[in-house]
Amino acid sequence: MATKVLPAREPRSVARSLLLTLPIALWSLLMFTPGFAQANRSERIASGITIVFMVVLFFMMMRTWATYRWRRWFFVALGLLFPVGFIHMVMVMRGTMGIPIEEMIAGRTPFCFLPIPLLILPAALTKTLVFPGSILPNGGMSGGGMAAMAGIWLAVTIVVGKGWCSYACFFGGIEEGMASVAPKAKLRKIDRRWRYGPWAVLLAMVLLSLALFEPAYCMWLCPFKAVSEYVAARSTVGLIQNGIFVVLFAALVIALPLLTKKRTQCAFFCPFGAFQSIFNKTSVFDVKIDKTRCTPCVLCQKSCPTMALTDESIAKGETLMSCMKCGACVDVCPKDAAVWHIRGTEVAVKPERARLMFLYAAWAMAIMFGGHVIAQGLATILHLFV
Amino acid sequence: MATPFAFGEALVLGLASGPACVASCGPVLVPSLLAERSGLRLNSRYLSAFLATRLLGYLVFAAVAWELGALVSIPSSARSLIFALIHVLLAGVLLRYAYSVGRVCDHACASPELVTIGGEGRYRIPGAAVLGFLTGVSLCPPFVAAGVRAAELASVLAAVLFFAVFFLGTSVWFVPFAGLGWVRRNEAVTTVARMAMALIALYYLYAGLATLIRKSTYGY
Repeated sequence: MATKVLPAREPRSVARSLLLTLPIALWSLLMFTPGFAQANRSERIASGITIVFMVVLFFMMMRTWATYRWRRWFFVALGLLFPVGFIHMVMVMRGTMGIPIEEMIAGRTPFCFLPIPLLILPAALTKTLVFPGSILPNGGMSGGGMAAMAGIWLAVTIVVGKGWCSYACFFGGIEEGMASVAPKAKLRKIDRRWRYGPWAVLLAMVLLSLALFEPAYCMWLCPFKAVSEYVAARSTVGLIQNGIFVVLFAALVIALPLLTKKRTQCAFFCPFGAFQSIFNKTSVFDVKIDKTRCTPCVLCQKSCPTMALTDESIAKGETLMSCMKCGACVDVCPKDAAVWHIRGTEVAVKPERARLMFLYAAWAMAIMFGGHVIAQGLATILHLFV
Repeated sequence: MATPFAFGEALVLGLASGPACVASCGPVLVPSLLAERSGLRLNSRYLSAFLATRLLGYLVFAAVAWELGALVSIPSSARSLIFALIHVLLAGVLLRYAYSVGRVCDHACASPELVTIGGEGRYRIPGAAVLGFLTGVSLCPPFVAAGVRAAELASVLAAVLFFAVFFLGTSVWFVPFAGLGWVRRNEAVTTVARMAMALIALYYLYAGLATLIRKSTYGY
């Protein structure tokens, strides 16, 4: 985890930073103003706060040259406010966080992106989606069907690759926040083989989903069921499933990030993260290590929240394919050796341009996707007071 | 007496149910195959052992199905007990297999042999053979369909032959898995396969124990 930023240069001028922030400010207005007419007072205030929040964070990224430090504020806010808005919505709609079987049969289960890799094989072999939701917009309870979610995911993924896990995922923020709370890591020695965990969970869940004809991860292992919605515990099986969700959440999202200062659920467990790693190979942007500048002090390795840097990868001048492009290594490098990079270009030639291009894409997505989630969560809280 | 038409039916039934069989056996077959060394020959040997013992499981099942009239006539509580035990056994074998892969890798990574489980010396059995047999006697929907049809045949021999031909039909779908031999094995692939096997074993263990507990509590 990036504990401190070592500024390699003077802050950018306010005027230039503002100029660089202008496209993002316009994008934010474009994303939030269409809904203003129908919105109630608390929703309008929440949208306004979100716009300011996102624009100021981007401005600070421009001014200070640091990425991780400011992105973390957004990501933690997203992680904390998603359950607030979502739980409020399910409570209003059905009065419980538990999904009754009738809702599943009716295909009104909200769809998130995590089961996407589990649906591919059953769909390819049987032309059936093994998820109790609707493929059409307005079919699911959250208003977005599977097709909409899969479409957004695909469009974003093609551009930012596994950057999805640092700028769009509405689950990772809680553990990132937890990892930031402890001043020092109590657990430092982590067997590097745990890095293969997400691939193992992905393999096992894809195969079990095909065999059982159900999204096995959602049914049995998703830690975030504990803070979103869960199988209604009307039977012993439901009780066991909910027990697993709570234990996994407590261990992987709360306790281990506190002890290790790593995003342990993302690094060692999340099958969607493993699946997303594949698209890091096709994404335009990546992070490289300029070997001519690298000492190596391994500060980048220590700072990486997902252990995506090893001695071998640093020697090769690159990150592992599990890199989430959070920017922690770039921020912490005292020699500016860890740099943003566009595929097909030379390493460390105008890295700030690569960073800017990546951040415009990633932040535009963050506003479009996460911004609305933050606004919804804020509006839910504001409803209590306004 | 069984007619050639019946065997043609068995072959078509096998071919048609192949994807369902692959889906059903996939959680056992894929990670255990990935845990073996790379090489088309070794992986083909694995697949041969797996399929041969799967056939053995089928034939045992065919004989039992015929002897008892049809599988469907077995009381459902007895049936669930049998398959709960098979699930628990499968979980145990998968866990042991995952452990054995680690042991083999520590001492003889270049070994051309299949991963074995069991005791020392001649009591060691290739894990593929045990897994093949256990998946062979497991109950999957296409298997039940074949079981019911086999039970209608005039003799136990005809039932066994019916299942053998059915097996051939389903096995065609397993042949492409030998191609996993081309996947280069390294620490990452072996570790992922072992971890996946452990996870799948936990699921089977849960499925088996849940059935056993339900049966002892509620009697079904």
